[in-house]
Order: sequence, then C-alpha cells, then structure tokens
Amino acid sequence: MTKEEANGATEEEQQAQSKKALKKQQKEAEKAAKKAEKQAKLAAEQQSTDEDDFAKDRYGVSAMVQSQQKLASVATDKVGPPSLTCMLSSAIGMKREGLGSGRVDGEFSAKGAALSLVSLHRALVRVEDLTPQKVDQLIWLRARVHTSRAKGKQCFLVLRQQQFNVQALVAVGDRASKQMVKFAANITKESIVDVEAMVRKVEQKIESCSQQDVELHIERIFVISQAEPRLPLQLEDAVRPDGDGEEEGRATVNQDTRLDNRVIDLRTTTSQAIFRLQSGVCQLFRDTLTKKGFVEIQTPKIISAASEGGANVFTVSYFKSSAYLAQSPQLYKQMCICADFDKVFCVGPVFRAEDSNTHRHLTEFVGLDIEMAFNYHYHEVIDSITDTMVQIFKGLRDNFQTEIQTVNKQFPSEPFKFLEPTLRLEYTEALAMLREAGVEMGDEDDLSTPNEKLLGRLVKEKYDTDFYVLDKYPLAVRPFYTMPDPNNPKYSNSYDMFMRGEEILSGAQRVHDPQLLTERALHHQIDLEKIKSYIDSFRYGAPPHGGGGIGLERVCMLYLGLHNVRQTSMFPRDPKRLTP
Amino acid sequence: MSMYQVKPVSPDIKIDLPTCMYKLPNIHMRQENSCSSDHALQNGDVDPTVRALEARQDEIMRKLYELKAAVEGLAKTVTTPDADLDVTVSSSLSSKSSSCDIFKATKNLDALLGKDLGALRDIVINANPAQPPLTLLVLHSLLCQHYRVLSTVHVHSSVSSVPPQLLSCLGPKHADSYARHMFQLGFTLIWKDVPKLEMKFSIRNMCPIEGEANVARFLFKLLAPYPSDPAVATLVDSWVDIAFYQLADGSSKDRAAVLRALGSALGRAPWLCGPEFSLADIAFYCCLSQNGSTSATGANVQRWIKSCENLGHFGPAKLLLK
Repeated sequence: MTKEEANGATEEEQQAQSKKALKKQQKEAEKAAKKAEKQAKLAAEQQSTDEDDFAKDRYGVSAMVQSQQKLASVATDKVGPPSLTCMLSSAIGMKREGLGSGRVDGEFSAKGAALSLVSLHRALVRVEDLTPQKVDQLIWLRARVHTSRAKGKQCFLVLRQQQFNVQALVAVGDRASKQMVKFAANITKESIVDVEAMVRKVEQKIESCSQQDVELHIERIFVISQAEPRLPLQLEDAVRPDGDGEEEGRATVNQDTRLDNRVIDLRTTTSQAIFRLQSGVCQLFRDTLTKKGFVEIQTPKIISAASEGGANVFTVSYFKSSAYLAQSPQLYKQMCICADFDKVFCVGPVFRAEDSNTHRHLTEFVGLDIEMAFNYHYHEVIDSITDTMVQIFKGLRDNFQTEIQTVNKQFPSEPFKFLEPTLRLEYTEALAMLREAGVEMGDEDDLSTPNEKLLGRLVKEKYDTDFYVLDKYPLAVRPFYTMPDPNNPKYSNSYDMFMRGEEILSGAQRVHDPQLLTERALHHQIDLEKIKSYIDSFRYGAPPHGGGGIGLERVCMLYLGLHNVRQTSMFPRDPKRLTP
Repeated sequence: MSMYQVKPVSPDIKIDLPTCMYKLPNIHMRQENSCSSDHALQNGDVDPTVRALEARQDEIMRKLYELKAAVEGLAKTVTTPDADLDVTVSSSLSSKSSSCDIFKATKNLDALLGKDLGALRDIVINANPAQPPLTLLVLHSLLCQHYRVLSTVHVHSSVSSVPPQLLSCLGPKHADSYARHMFQLGFTLIWKDVPKLEMKFSIRNMCPIEGEANVARFLFKLLAPYPSDPAVATLVDSWVDIAFYQLADGSSKDRAAVLRALGSALGRAPWLCGPEFSLADIAFYCCLSQNGSTSATGANVQRWIKSCENLGHFGPAKLLLK
C-alpha cells in the first residue's frame, strides 16, 4: 500500500482507494466468515454440551434455603410419619434439586417416593472429622469454598470450615461432566456449598490443608449461598504475617480495611483462634472465681454520677434530664460488699470517653471486675486475684495450645511466662530498679508508660516472668477512695498488676469508713453532693474490702503478645470508629 | 448508812502477850498503812523482798544451767574438732551472742552488695526441681541466722508441678513477709526448667552466675570472708570444684578417686582445708549426701561426717533428702 501511495498519481490514488476499499471489504468478509464459523462452532458445542451433560442434576445453584423441608441430621431421628401429599411435594422438591441420598431417576411413583423417603436424612460431616477412618465413605458436607482452581479436566477446590480445610476434587469421569468441572471452577470464593463426596486416602500428605491425609472426590456439588465475585479483601492476604509480605511483594491487609470488613476478616484462622482464646479467658475467669465462692453480679451501666472523674464519661439523654454511661462498676461492687455478698465479680461493658488513640485504648471494652471483703490484711485480696490470674494462665497454657500456635503463625511472639505464687514487688523496689537503670523519678511520682515498659523488661530479666504485682503505690497518685498506708502516710494500700510491662489491673483496699472517705474526698476537692449516696452506703456497717478490674481485650492482647487491642476486640470502638 | 454510835466497851488495856510464840504483824493495821506501799498484795503477789530473793535464785539457777550446758558442750568438743560450741549450747544461749557462731559475720552488706537504694536486695536463684541445690539451702539457713532474710519459693510456668517438699524447703513463711522493706536481704528460689542453676542479683552491674559451686561461693562470702592466706583459699576453691564436678557429675572411677583423696586429706586435719570449717566441707557434705555414698567411705570420712552433723547446719538438707 505504501508503495502505491509513494507513486502519488491521483488516478493511482483512486485506484489505491478502490483497492483499499476492496481490501477492507475483503477483511470484513473474512471477519464475518470467522464470526459465523465461531458461532456455528459455539452452537455446535452448546448442542454437544447440552447433549453430553449427563451430570446436569448433580450440580447447580440451589434454591434459597427458606426452610422448605427438614432433613433430619441422623437416620434415627424421629421425623414422624409424613402425609402422602407432603411426601410427594418434598419428593418433587428433592428430584428438582437432586437431593436425598437415594437416586430419584426417571419416573417416580408414590411407592418410589415413599421408598426414597425412608432414607430422608442427611448427616453433614464436619471437616475436622475427615480422617483416614472415613476413607471410602460417601459423605455430605457443607463448607465454604476457600479456593477453586481448574486444571484441564479437573478442578481442585479447597473447602474450609472455621479453622479446618480439606482438598476436594471434581474430575471428568462417569460421575462428573465437563460442564460440572467448569461450574465448579467458576464458583466464587467464600460461597457456601453442599457437597456429596467420597473420602479417599492420599499417598502424599497435603501440606497446605489442615486435613492432610484425605481428600474428597466430589460427586455432587450445590451452591447454597453465593458470594459476590469481588471480595473487599482476600483471606490469604489477611492471614499473611507482616514480615513476609514486605519481602515477596505480596500484599497484607492493613488494619483499617480489616476493621471495615470485619465479617470477612473474622473468618480467618487467626481471628477464629484469637476469639476462641478470649472466650476461654472469660470462662476460666468465671469458673475459677465461682470455685472460690464468688457470686456473679450485674451492675447498671446508666448511672447518675461519674465514678472515676468527671472528664471521661459519655452522656446520654435520659428522658427530661441526662445520665452517664458507667466508667466502671466500682460503686456498685462496693455496695454489694456492704450488702453482705462478701465476694462478687462482674463481667460487663465499660465506657471510657478518653480521646486517646493508642494501641491499647478503646472507648468501650469488656471489664472483668472483682471485689471482696477481707479479714485483716488487704494482701488476702491480692493473693486471691493473683491466684485467679495464674489459674487463667495455666488453663490457657494447658487447653488452648492449638489456638496459641495458630496466632503465633501470623503474629510470632514469645510464650507467656509467669511464676506461682505471683511475684510481688514494692513500689520502692521498682523505684530502686529504675534509678539503677538511669531513670530519674521522685519518690511520689507515678510511673509513666515508658517507665512501666522499662520496669517490665527489668523484671523479666531478673525474675523471668511476664506477670507481676507492684504494691504500695504513693497515695498522691491514687483515687480518693484508696486506703492510706497505716505506717507511712506517703503510701497507700494500692497495687497494680502488669503483663508484659503493660498495666492490666489497678486495685486497692477501699476506704470503708465514711469519716475518712469524706476527708479524702475533700482533700481531692471532689464535690461531696455528687458522691453522697456513695458515702452513705458505708454508714451502716461496712466490712474492710478491696478489689480490682481487668480489661478482657487487653489481657488477651498481652497474653498472645499482639500489638494492638483492636485485634482482640470483635467490633472495636475508639474515638474514630463507630461501625460496624 | 449511818448507825448509832456505841462507846468502846473496854478501854485501852495493855495486854501482856506471851513471848513463847512468834509474833505476827497485825493484819488490819497493815491494811490501813498500805496506801503508800505496794497495796497490790492481793491476787497472789509477793513482797518485794521476796521477789528480790526469787530473782537472785533464778539468776543462780540460770548460771547453773549455763555452766551445765557449757560443760556438756566441752564434752562434745573433745570429740568434735574445732567446733567452738555445739548446736545444743548455742540454742540455749540468748540469740544476741552471735559471736559464738562459727562465722564471724560480716554485717556490712553495703560493702559486699553495693549501696542500699532503699529497697530490698533480692537474690534470685533459678534451680531445676530435678536437681535441688542442697548447698544453697544450707547456706540459706546460715544466712537467716545472720541477717533478716525474706525467703520465697516460686514455681515457674515452664514447670508444671513440683513435689510439696520443694515448695517448703526454705522453711515456714516469716510473719512479716507482707512488708518487704523490713528485710535486709531477699532470697527468691524459683523452680524452673533450666539446664544449669543460675543466680541473678543486680541486672545492671552483675551478669548472672551459673553453677551451684559459684553461687555457693557468692553466698558464702556474704557470711564470712574467704581465708586470708591465698594458699588455703585456693585449697578451699579446689575442693569445692572437686565436690561439684568430680563427685556429683563424674563417673564412678572419678568418684572413687575423690573419696580416696578425701579420706587422706581428712586423716591429716580435722576439716578438709585445715583446722577451720569452710565452704569446702559444706559442699562435700551435700554432694556426698545427694550421691548417697555416705556409707561406702573410710573411717576418717565417717568421723568427719559425724562432726558435720554435730554442727547442726545441715538440717534443711537432711529434711529435703528424706
């Protein structure tokens, strides 16, 4: 073409144009021909697929489960003698969806329907139970599609249930057709599927799955709930440890994305492990204290006056006036002790309106609070609380090792160490240790966060424990209801407990004498009117008592060695986050 | 209640009292005069002169008992070489006569352990429950006699459980143990899964000390200085090392050789390192007891074992071995 243009005569141009036009037409004709060919081919394929799809009723998207029928989970379940119409309608339903363990092929008669209904049950097997003992059994199971990968005539799926997953295989053969394999490969990730499969032993262990010795050969697969094709985050990315991601260029998911799409993030094995451990902490807390004779109480969260101090409370409108959300169950715990309950604990939400955007503060968290009356010395309270904590740690160490290892895969950390009985240091000793390390602090100063962390490291080096109690804090830095030390007015009968160098509990012997309480309140310049009912509760005989409270999320975070409390809170609340 | 007055029936007549009887003071008159003197003569109290007499009597009795104990001690001293006083003697005397103890206590902890920063000086020892350190328990009981020691036992999370006698090996809890600042020294024993025994004291200034022999040396120096003669000091050190490395950890041939050397050394002097009791004796006694080879030894060694036991310091070790 270019040569002809180079010659440049208009006649020749016209000739060229017509030639061009000719060529164009030729090309278009070719295209059309190709298209027609393709279409013909497709049509032919379609026909062939339609013809060849012998497995049409063994896969597909099920109708939405609206409780159309009840399939008993075990054959011996009493389903009851169904009426004939009911049987017929459910048999029709079964045929349409290809359900039921019997094969409903071709024509069915009422007798056939009745026969098939004898086996009207489907026992769904859990993925964690797929062990070599189940080899050569035909089982049904419901799980999520973790990944699906087609490879020629086969499609490999990984089916996942909570922290367990298993490899499954759809292969073209006498049970499955090409279309079925294609369908399986196209199921979107995270969809929930019902699968009927034969359990087969594998010679080589499947390293990437939790069930390493078996795989499933799928005979039937139905999608129960389809997931959207574009997920906001990928689960493999969410489970990847941070260090790896940077090196290989593979993505990890950052925290905000996780928190915005918490529903998907919580499906990861790590999140499942963290929250199971958290549930264990709560349960061990309750069990240990109940065994010690404590009574669980529930305290009100809408209160009339701020308990800890005026600055950090949420206000709610309460009919014509306003009320506050409780910062801690302090007042009510103490009232229970004055009401002769002797030893109480409570588990409930705590609301702190602190505008601190740190790794360890939330505006709403779960508080585990203890209060008990003692006989002669507040160390009885410390011993009780530390013993409870040690029992919790032992319970986690002995019963939740799988969860701890799972979390460690993504967030590696040192295992948690503790001493029994718990190490108790005095504030003066801590000051001496810090001064030896070069920190300058006055005798009555409070410990700042970096000093607390340094002290934690020093204690860890000397005693090799991540959990210890610091006793006899200076009176000046504690709230007004703390009992002063009997021998030295500079100090108080109060204590803090630390895990991995961070404070988890603040407690003390409380002032149970209304006279002294009034004095201390005046000294701290607190309006007596606001705490009148609090002081009144001690006027009718109050036993000496003390206690403390821990935050569930912070304890879990520090036990596992995580770095942000939002990882241990399911739907965290902080000054910048109110949803989900 | 006022009553009518009656005039005295008989006027003051002088009565001649017989002189063959002894006179008793008038009870009634005594009561009238009792306001100035000690009128608390009721309830079984005695006259001050009687009290003085009793006190003198008690003093004499006490001195007699002391003499008796001293004589008994001397009798035992004849058999036990170079023990100033036996344990029976020291227990009967008052506690402030600490000069009777074997070790001249160096009370100057500041010189030994560094300036007191106002807090408890805590010695932390991590030991494996499979190999309890008897030497350290013996030294701990000696330390308790010289200083106010706060002893605590902990179990580390690396160990799931320990037998109860290991939990109470440092003796009963001190009544004042809730107030840590009232003690001069802290002795914290942690049962932990460690390959070698280690001791930590000051994180900043000291590295951890490993090995029972070395920790024993550290603790011993808190009680008494090493012998000033360098030859004797070296001898003590070498015997300590022999005790821990050849006797405790060595093969049976090593052990036999050590026992022979022990026998010959004890033939020349009452204690291992000459005339004075030292750390080497403590170390050897504990290692021998732990080994269980106290019976299979010569006459010299047997005699020395008896002398050690007479001293009474090895009580905690024997308790643990039971």
